[in-house]
Amino acid sequence: MSEEIKTIQRSSSRAPKKPKKSQIPYGLALLIVMVIVGILLTMKSVTLGLLWLFGSSFGFVLQKSRFCFTASLRDPFISGSTSITKAVLIAFAIGTVGFTAIKYGYFVNGLPIPGMNYVVPFGPTTIIGGILFGIGMVIAGGCASGTLMRIGEGFVQQMLALVFFIIGSLIGAYHFGFWKINFISHSPKVFLPDYFGWFGAVALQLLIILCLYIAADKWQKKKIGA
Amino acid sequence: MKSFWDKLGKNEYYVALFKNPLTYVGGAILLAILQIALLASTGNPWGVSGTFANWGAWIYEALGGSVDKWFYFSSEGAQNTLNNGFLNDPGTMSNLGIIFGALLSALLASQFKFKKIKAMRQVVAAVLGGLLMGYGARMAFGCNIGAFFSGIISLSLSGWVFGASLLIGAFIGGKLLTRFFMG
Amino acid sequence: MKEFTLDCMGEACPLPLMKTEKQMEKMEVGDVVIVQIDHSCAMKNVPEWARNQGYNVEIDEVDDGEWEVIIEKTK
Repeated sequence: MSEEIKTIQRSSSRAPKKPKKSQIPYGLALLIVMVIVGILLTMKSVTLGLLWLFGSSFGFVLQKSRFCFTASLRDPFISGSTSITKAVLIAFAIGTVGFTAIKYGYFVNGLPIPGMNYVVPFGPTTIIGGILFGIGMVIAGGCASGTLMRIGEGFVQQMLALVFFIIGSLIGAYHFGFWKINFISHSPKVFLPDYFGWFGAVALQLLIILCLYIAADKWQKKKIGA
Repeated sequence: MKSFWDKLGKNEYYVALFKNPLTYVGGAILLAILQIALLASTGNPWGVSGTFANWGAWIYEALGGSVDKWFYFSSEGAQNTLNNGFLNDPGTMSNLGIIFGALLSALLASQFKFKKIKAMRQVVAAVLGGLLMGYGARMAFGCNIGAFFSGIISLSLSGWVFGASLLIGAFIGGKLLTRFFMG
Repeated sequence: MKEFTLDCMGEACPLPLMKTEKQMEKMEVGDVVIVQIDHSCAMKNVPEWARNQGYNVEIDEVDDGEWEVIIEKTK
């Protein structure tokens, strides 16, 4: 998208440029510390080292791309923009293919399928929980990953949000027994391949993602015209 | 020495790799690849909020409380995690990693800055928002990562139900934001 | 041709964008607004919104983690 942008006329002088300090040396120092931490953790357990590596990678990518799940669900209403929504859908599509390939490999070899404890029952608690979370993330200015990412960027508001996220989680855990007895134990779990077969489940999900992608594209065109 | 860092920071390759932001789509592709690699190497997808409940439990126990009778922490897995402590908890390392990974990215781009709270409405937003997210995530077995991102790509219908609910919540949240938190 | 300054320092997502939208509504064609931000999301989503609207946009990094997004209302 190239366009001829003439320099915008400004009557006021630009903000006096403070000499910018390069933060690269601090970054490199932090990198060295993080590598050392990674090595120490791996000596204790490979899993610890791996999760540290992956967590750091997720955080790096999130900050670098300004990725925000909150924005993907909120911006369509606030500004009409669906660029992040579409990006999230792309992440879902690629993730679906990769995850299914791995799971199918285990399944076809008669081995227990990894990651199945993320296939959880859904029902009224999912809906209420989702609505509460959705409200909370928009108000707080970041979701779970976004809150951690922004703490790394220096936002004190998110540090405060994390404290109360933890408190809310503890209260939620305290009440969890109630939700379990009255709702969750009656709620179904649906692993799509059980109903549509492996190929059918992936094809169906990718189709839905595609439809949502087109819908998101049309939404932006309608709201903003671009 | 100082000008070395300034020069490095202006080098075209450095700028392309570490200074300029990545596109949303680029981020999406990388996040998906990381998720896949995580599942392949550890047997589990990415999760964030479950660890917050554990952090809460550890803090509560440090203050003299006990969660041993709570149903939520009654499973063997949960008890093991709590007993092993946060230094042995992979979820803790993952969450701390996110914070430091983001910090690293910001520092290498010379874009880190402390952003202090400047209005009461930001305090209310953080407190209320945090509580809602924490509670909602426990009800739904996860957050935007565990229940939404990981849930959907794990081919669980719960992910879609949660996602639709998030959308409704985001809509409501947006209205509240405009009414009360704009300043 | 008036010039406005919008201080959005310290604001959380998506307030810089929302405030910019409101400000732009009050402006006339030819006016310029300088949005001061220190949020990494905003240095992406504010220019993107402005470009989608067809305005001229410039982004200036004025300090570590601080940007000015200069938008000219062209239509």
